[in-house]
Amino acid sequence: MEFTLNTIRKVDNDQAREFAFGDDKSLKEKLAIVILNPEDIKQLNVKPGSIVKIYNDTGFVNVKIIQDKKVPLKMAMMPVSIWSNQLTRVINNDLVYKNIEIKIEADDEPILDYKSILQKIKEGS
Amino acid sequence: MKRVPCSGCSLLCDDIIVRSDGIFIDEVIGACIKGKEHFDQVIAKNRITNPTFRADHTLKKIDWNQAYIKAIELIKKAKKPLLYGFSTASCEAQLKGIQLAEKINGHIDSNSSICQGKIIEKSKSVGLTLTTIGEVINKVDLIILWGANPAESIPRLLNKALFSRGKFRMTGREIKTLIIIDPVQSASFGVMGVRDLSLLIEPNKDIDLIRVLKEECCATDSIPSEGVAGIDKDDLKRLLLHLTGAEYGVIVVGQGLLKPTGDSDTLQEFLELIEMINSRQKKGRISLIMMGGHYNMAGFDHVALANYGQSGSLNFINNQLEETETNTIDKMNNEDFDLSIIVGTDPISHLPANLSSKLMKHPIIVIDNKKSATGDVADLFLPSAITGIECGGLSYRLDHIPIELQKIIDSPNNIPSDEVILSEILKRLTDGGP
Amino acid sequence: MDLYNFLPKTNCKKCNPKTCMAFALALLQGKVKIEDCPPLLEPKYKKQYDTLKEMIGSEEGQEKELQINVDTDLCDGCGICVTVCPVNARYCPPTLSGKVPDYPPDTHQLFQVKKGICELLNIKYCRRIEAEGRERECRVCETYCPREAIKIEYV
Repeated sequence: MEFTLNTIRKVDNDQAREFAFGDDKSLKEKLAIVILNPEDIKQLNVKPGSIVKIYNDTGFVNVKIIQDKKVPLKMAMMPVSIWSNQLTRVINNDLVYKNIEIKIEADDEPILDYKSILQKIKEGS
Repeated sequence: MKRVPCSGCSLLCDDIIVRSDGIFIDEVIGACIKGKEHFDQVIAKNRITNPTFRADHTLKKIDWNQAYIKAIELIKKAKKPLLYGFSTASCEAQLKGIQLAEKINGHIDSNSSICQGKIIEKSKSVGLTLTTIGEVINKVDLIILWGANPAESIPRLLNKALFSRGKFRMTGREIKTLIIIDPVQSASFGVMGVRDLSLLIEPNKDIDLIRVLKEECCATDSIPSEGVAGIDKDDLKRLLLHLTGAEYGVIVVGQGLLKPTGDSDTLQEFLELIEMINSRQKKGRISLIMMGGHYNMAGFDHVALANYGQSGSLNFINNQLEETETNTIDKMNNEDFDLSIIVGTDPISHLPANLSSKLMKHPIIVIDNKKSATGDVADLFLPSAITGIECGGLSYRLDHIPIELQKIIDSPNNIPSDEVILSEILKRLTDGGP
Repeated sequence: MDLYNFLPKTNCKKCNPKTCMAFALALLQGKVKIEDCPPLLEPKYKKQYDTLKEMIGSEEGQEKELQINVDTDLCDGCGICVTVCPVNARYCPPTLSGKVPDYPPDTHQLFQVKKGICELLNIKYCRRIEAEGRERECRVCETYCPREAIKIEYV
């Protein structure tokens, strides 16, 4: 299904806080998430808490679903993190973090943890 | 018990009460949750207190003399170094960074070039009206949040701007109007009252709204009857009435307006709209406040302008300042560098993944006070003291007012500050030898 | 004020609080009983009488205490409650321009932000206990908290 992606900041899901006070496990739990409207979650045939694959021309990443009814339909929100930056891109020497076109589908693969995703960035995509 | 400025975010609240005996911080009163986490960084469990060097996939702790020797080695091998960050460093450290770039023929830039600096760049041709937080507290009667969500990023901004009872607005919240323009119903909508206006605009259509407002300023009755960008005709009329009738209005600009996609030049037209409204007003005016992330994002432009006559990014060739068309993102994308020195920021977590891959292909030196993704892959990591808690310095607030940060306690293990590290590297390069 | 919707709303002054709005508040606090309103016992208000009986339930007549709870998981220390509380505005001058009040706190100060989270110091001087008339229905801290972390309850 096609969606629009917006990367946002949230006080509870802050990458700098998890780096300073948490560990690799809490980093993955708090930041590898996507927030969707409950209607869209039903249309995708998944449940909150399950894993989905998000992809576009730039890259792909697996994350967990959280539901919130204030999110508009056909929009996906992710906190700024290493996971969400697999999908952001550079256009005309400018960084684009909002209104990115993506596709979402259900998936079984596990979420990459911190060290694996750093390794993936190092190898280049 | 004394009041010290807090360097947690770019609002730099200077009324925080800290109780400390010079060795530990006992109590922090008045700071929001971002400020409290900033003060907690002193005792963070993942804090690194020794320089580390990575060789053959192993991490080794080294002492400070060896660390400086390794840094000079890496710098001398590089022909096109890139310096980036500097928005969590004091103004004195930023000046040392620019002097270092001049010495080693590097390209230096700060985080503001992808944030506030874009508006300052555009304003050179159109003009800009800024205001200060003190004026906002005392005089404002209209606040517009356009693409900004201060409840999640700068929690105390709404407190100071909207709920305060300033000298000319003693009734406080009841005579101030709040308008929020955002595609999503964010946490900032929680402070709306009965007379406020919330406009849920369609994503990426801000340019249409700006163009309709510009036409309406010149002629009358040109609002299309079906509305524009998801906003209906009555709400548009109310928005225009508020914009042209306010005595002292303020627009808070956030990432939603700074980062649109598409070919149109949204920022240019937005600044032209503000100038148009201000030139037709008889007694009121509209000003801007630009939100930022780190606490000294606005300082780099002031330091560069005052000492080198140019703001934004600086490019040095043959130890002299050269004009260039390429910006930092362009350099990273084309891999036009062979060493990166990152000060106080974390580009691997914040930049798109293909730029991070390119950064990782060359050596990285990191100077920072906390653990980060860039620090984990760096070849050389130099820990530094936290400015605002363990060392002092000058820094500029988001409305470009200078605030002097103070030292409260000593740093653990006598870690030096950013300014001391950069000036030591510069001194060793100038004197020659290891 | 759901209870107010089921009262006669005539302000006939036959009860002790003398207005329907104040009677609703006193009913919530357990200071009066439903029977203290004579028009409610008439047949034409029987439906309202039964609904009110159901809503109040078995706790009728017991004196209830005011409690203001701050949810520490939701609070983010923005300090809006400190600035907007009218008692804080009267006794702590720095809050007028949104600044942090002095420490140690004044005896009348209600809210204070400590360790990044808002805490209630003492409830004795809240407007809902001390004031008269319309000021008694003050709910500004609950209304203006952006994360809805403050709840006013009678227990």
